[in-house]
Amino acid sequence: MNARVGKVAPNFTTRAFHKGEIKEISLEDYRGKWVVLCFYPGDFTFV
Amino acid sequence: MSYPELQKLGVEVISVSVDSPFVHKIWNEQELSKMVDGGVPFIMASDMGGKIGSLYGVYDDEGGVDIRGRFLIDPEGVVQAMEVLTPPVGRNDAELLRQIQAFQHHQATGEVVPAGWQPGKSTLKPSTALAGNVWKEWQPKK
Repeated sequence: MNARVGKVAPNFTTRAFHKGEIKEISLEDYRGKWVVLCFYPGDFTFV
Repeated sequence: MSYPELQKLGVEVISVSVDSPFVHKIWNEQELSKMVDGGVPFIMASDMGGKIGSLYGVYDDEGGVDIRGRFLIDPEGVVQAMEVLTPPVGRNDAELLRQIQAFQHHQATGEVVPAGWQPGKSTLKPSTALAGNVWKEWQPKK
């Protein structure tokens, strides 16, 4: 199901790069905090 | 992005693209660390195959990339705001900050936040008596 305002954000688990390390993260790990999830077309592009 | 300001508001940032975690690492090392002291401070997630983008309605299967989508998620995990742009134009984080401050104000006080609100400006307390009387409390020009 697509994300909608007022509804629980769809959970996902994936690998991420953070502070020099590659680790597995889930959106659910961040319950209790505000989260900004930012999609963008790709690394090494211009904007 | 004004990451220190977001941190002050208790906000975690997760960026997502279809690049692998290794590409994120190299991009950070080769380029971004030359634009931002200490490199990228936030979490760079990998969406190879576009499954996450598909869940959020921002995966473009023709281009094979996630388009610019920004989702503001509250501490309960609920999406409070979203913005989606086509690729040529970047975002403006001033509006993102304003929205976070407005939602945090609402969640802390129960007050509602009029159009164009900025921190420190007046808000409204919803009540039966307020119906039809918003004009006494709030004028768009003030």
